[in-house]
Amino acid sequence: MSEFHLTEDQQDCLQELINIAMGQASDQLARYLDTFVYLKVPSIESIDAKDLLQTLSQQQNTMAVVSQGFFGYEGIRGEALLSYQEEDSGRIGDLLGYEPDELSQDEQLIDISSILTTTFLNVFARQIDNQMSYNAPKLLPSVQNCLSEHLQEMTFNWDLALKININYQVTDYSFNCNMILLIPETAIINIKKVLDRILAEF
Amino acid sequence: MLDFNALTSENNTSIQALSGTVLKQINTQISNQINTGVLVLDAEFNIVLWNRFLQVHTDKDAANIIGQSIFIAFPELPERWLSRKLSAVLQLNTPSFCSWQQRHHLFELPHTRQITTDSEFMAQNCTFLPIDTDCEHKHICILIEDVTDVCHYQGQLQKTLAELAQMSRIDGLTQIYNRRHWQDSLVQEYAKSRRHSKNLSLIMLDLDHFKLLNDNYGHQCGDMVLIEISALISSLLRVEDIFGRYGGEEFAIILPETNLTGAMELAQRICHSIAKAPLQYNGQVIKVTVSLGVAPLSKQTSSYEELITHADLALYQAKAQGRNQVCSATNMATA
Repeated sequence: MSEFHLTEDQQDCLQELINIAMGQASDQLARYLDTFVYLKVPSIESIDAKDLLQTLSQQQNTMAVVSQGFFGYEGIRGEALLSYQEEDSGRIGDLLGYEPDELSQDEQLIDISSILTTTFLNVFARQIDNQMSYNAPKLLPSVQNCLSEHLQEMTFNWDLALKININYQVTDYSFNCNMILLIPETAIINIKKVLDRILAEF
Repeated sequence: MLDFNALTSENNTSIQALSGTVLKQINTQISNQINTGVLVLDAEFNIVLWNRFLQVHTDKDAANIIGQSIFIAFPELPERWLSRKLSAVLQLNTPSFCSWQQRHHLFELPHTRQITTDSEFMAQNCTFLPIDTDCEHKHICILIEDVTDVCHYQGQLQKTLAELAQMSRIDGLTQIYNRRHWQDSLVQEYAKSRRHSKNLSLIMLDLDHFKLLNDNYGHQCGDMVLIEISALISSLLRVEDIFGRYGGEEFAIILPETNLTGAMELAQRICHSIAKAPLQYNGQVIKVTVSLGVAPLSKQTSSYEELITHADLALYQAKAQGRNQVCSATNMATA
């Protein structure tokens, strides 16, 4: 147990905040996309950089990963990674309400990723009286080799991260994607402070 | 237009001492000096505000622009797509992005490197931000960043990488595939043929008495012969055949979907064409012949290396039988 690990109370509090944020985000998304968005209960875990590398590179048929950085006040920041499987992403343009010739497959992936990430994190930020800014989302080039390379680069900065795993499903469009929020260790300290403050208010 | 208070800490007394007018002047100057286009739209996508960057780059009259629909002011914009994107910003209250990597530009703006780059319009990264004010309706701020430089250098980098990839596959002298790429190709073709139960044949060939040629006429003549022979053989091949320089004066050809008969025919044609080829060096006629070994993939072949060995053995036999001829691996007693 290091200073970067969440206490049980902190973990419960974060889980609750994320659950609420997810509920609101999926409601907003459903209105915008005009279809039901199903989210599984998210998992929160502390993860070693080297384990993360392993879990992510094990996802065999991952077709694409989109990365988007986020940052708010009080040193809350991290990176959202959205991963897509080949079979689950054929109708994203359709889901977003675009005509097939209006945008490329890459752009569809980037667009939906940005919408999912920013909608969720905006609501989450509101829960903790914060406000998020975002980097432009980037499609990581040729996933098979580069995802682990990309993560290897990241591991220079931290040993431990808070990993929040959220699965989005839109059954009407057979859409499925996995969002992983990675919060590096210095930002974990900051998030712990925020959680303690919220816990004290109860 | 920039909220300067938001940029600074509220308890900074020296900033608080500035009057509202001064702050406004500072904000206006910043927004007019930054090298980013700023365009603000109302909820109906009419332009309510823009900065100097856009004014000077579009060369449009400010009086006509303000109040106009963005799609009339900038008819080049893909209206249906962008409307949907802007709606998302308003409805979800989230930012949206558009990168030059997916769309080179949205706004047809000139850029400052007209001479040193080949792109006609400014490459752009656009950001769409929801803006909350005291006003009843939301606004959208569009930030337009000039990334022509990035786009240009990325293009140069891709070109260089493609050239390097090509160079790493090609033999510098003969301009045919080098040994490494040829062998990688054989590994793939071997696996493909095995998987789909298709024919595959291999020709190994060697210039006869090449050392003598180098000794008599010099290495420059030897180089010329290698170049000419490579070009001649290339002209006899189909596009799917993979021709590489195996070693000094040894060449190899992978023939996908080709049986022994087909491979033997081609080998004979190469043998005759080279023997008849009118090669000259410094006014002297150079007589060049080659020996060729042909090996087809058979059920017994257990690896691509074995295929090479069979073709090699057939080649040695062609040499042993007097050169300038073709031998097939199947005529030999299995080694």
